[in-house]
Amino acid sequence: MSVPALEVSGVSKDFGRIIALRDVTFSVQPGEFVSILGRNGAGKTTLLNIISGVSRPSEGTVQLFGTNPSDRENKAKLAVISHEMFLYGNLTALENLEYYSRIYSVPDAQERIETVLKDVELTHRRFDLVATYSRGMTQRLTIARALLHEPSLLLLDEPFTGLDQHAIGMLITLLKRQKEMGRTILLTTHDLHTATALSDRYLVISKHKIVKDGLIVDTNPDKIRQAFFSSEVEEGVS
Amino acid sequence: MMSTAFSILKKDLRMEFRSKESILAMWIFSLLIFVIFNFTFEVSRLVMLEIAPGLLWVAFVFSGMFGLNQSFSMEKENGNLRAMALMPVDGGQIYVGKFLSVTIIMLMFEALIFPIFIIFYDLQLSLGMFMLIPVLLAGTIGFTSLGTILSAVAVHTRNQQILLSLLLWPLVSPIIIWSVTLTGMVLSGEMTEACYPLLVRVGAFDVIFFTLSYMLFDFILED
Amino acid sequence: MRSKIDKILLIILLIAFLVSIYLIFQWVPQIKASNPAEQIAQRIFYFHVPSAWLGFMAFFVVFCGSVAYLVTRDRKYELISVASAEIGVLFISLVLITGPIWAKPVWGIWWTWDVRLTSSLILWLIYVAFLMLRRYLPDGSKRANLSAVVGIIGFIDVPIVYYSIRWWETQHPKAVMASSEGSLAAPMFFAFMFSLATFTLLYVYLIRKRYQLLALEDTINKQFKEMEIL
Repeated sequence: MSVPALEVSGVSKDFGRIIALRDVTFSVQPGEFVSILGRNGAGKTTLLNIISGVSRPSEGTVQLFGTNPSDRENKAKLAVISHEMFLYGNLTALENLEYYSRIYSVPDAQERIETVLKDVELTHRRFDLVATYSRGMTQRLTIARALLHEPSLLLLDEPFTGLDQHAIGMLITLLKRQKEMGRTILLTTHDLHTATALSDRYLVISKHKIVKDGLIVDTNPDKIRQAFFSSEVEEGVS
Repeated sequence: MMSTAFSILKKDLRMEFRSKESILAMWIFSLLIFVIFNFTFEVSRLVMLEIAPGLLWVAFVFSGMFGLNQSFSMEKENGNLRAMALMPVDGGQIYVGKFLSVTIIMLMFEALIFPIFIIFYDLQLSLGMFMLIPVLLAGTIGFTSLGTILSAVAVHTRNQQILLSLLLWPLVSPIIIWSVTLTGMVLSGEMTEACYPLLVRVGAFDVIFFTLSYMLFDFILED
Repeated sequence: MRSKIDKILLIILLIAFLVSIYLIFQWVPQIKASNPAEQIAQRIFYFHVPSAWLGFMAFFVVFCGSVAYLVTRDRKYELISVASAEIGVLFISLVLITGPIWAKPVWGIWWTWDVRLTSSLILWLIYVAFLMLRRYLPDGSKRANLSAVVGIIGFIDVPIVYYSIRWWETQHPKAVMASSEGSLAAPMFFAFMFSLATFTLLYVYLIRKRYQLLALEDTINKQFKEMEIL
């Protein structure tokens, strides 16, 4: 097999009084679409922070395409979509995208910006300040921004929360296209339906550990539900 | 390499100039400082001239604080601090960009405040006043080099503005002391040989804190 | 083992303090001063100066702990820095309190913007801000990083502050300073060194205790978490 896109081995995040992750191990092959399921506070966001090189694990290692995630080349291959917009309200859509394309040294930036704007159907509003956008439009622009530098690995942290129907449809279409292009995608969610509909594989995080790792194709959705909900119930007890 | 810093600078200046009201408000605020000082310290013109350099720096520093607070609160707004941590660039480059934008804005304020100051205190313009340029430049850079990194620290707290003041004032006091003295020397036309070692001292401070902040900035972005 | 060391330390500390108090108030000969109040006030020197030295030392430990933390990311160094900053603030507070008590009978004023006084005050402000910053941040690696950065910048700034104020002071009319004591007489020197040693011991004891307490808090909190998890 080729070099895995992502290899997480024995990762714990445990700082002072905070325990966020315990001995998490898994790897993701290039082109895979993996959903990470778990309740809020289970450690999903911490895991994504460690994978994206923003946070350091207290133990264990993470390898992105065979190297350290905080390497600059790796950060350029990465995109994060979360509830945070990563956009400036006082700039127009075009200015926002131009700014990020310079930071990420996107080749043929103008062309690329036009493409992503068209993908999220915002071309007609590109000269307007982002602050004047509706919530749904801002979220679409967030997606455009993330895809701007054609990342090889997409990290999506609860991307569907708060999206309107139109934006959800658009994000799903775009994600499917990214997958066809061979991009690796990691998605955290607490929504089972989107996870089963989109991904090849799922991981269930509960109590800061991975409790389940299975393929969607050979697993009955009910079984995932079981794994997912049983962990929910246990957490509910304590 | 430096293109990152310039991209950030360009973006910051663009955003700053787009909110013209706040620039105007800041300028009027500095006017108010002169007015209030005039009423609270009812002193003779001679004494006023003696405290004028201090007054000038109070106005400068307040406008600088405004710029510093602004600089990172606009990054916090939509989670852009995290976006910065995710950027495929050296944290030092981000520091340089932020430092440059804050410095340029503060210098701009100084340029706006100074003429008012001249008028209010009836200062005689002379050729010697050109020496103020290096003095203000050195003092401002010292203030902003330390201010930029501390603003990036303070922005992570709920009470950003108070905390920035608490952190910055004591640390930046040497720069203020020296800058006020130097400004006084220039304004009173006593710009003598004695000023140069002092100017060099301010410059050394600038270099130390700029370098230190450049090296430490990566740790601030990291979670 | 650890608690045994602490116990021995505490006993030595108690004895040392009693001895220093005896040395300072009984054994050291009276200084020659026209003002009787000054003769008594002078003895504050044996508490004042060691506090100041230990305060500086404590902040140096904050600096070292901050650097060590950023290099290793070990929680231990963060806790050492915090403990030392707290104790440093305590010692400098003592300096700022004992100073005016001495100054009032000797100089006739509580406070003057002299280089030592002003720089001690600014020093105190720097580390109070350091501790305040930590109060405003949630516990975690982010807080540890930010406070380490401030711990480093703060300490680098200390000599610059001192230098700038000394410079500023010479530009201003001198305070009503008594002439410097000159060299200390032998018994005074001995009493001073003894007091300094006692204060150093106090610092060692306090930082050990404070560190243990902070580490214990972590352990307890973690055990609670652990219970939640299971």
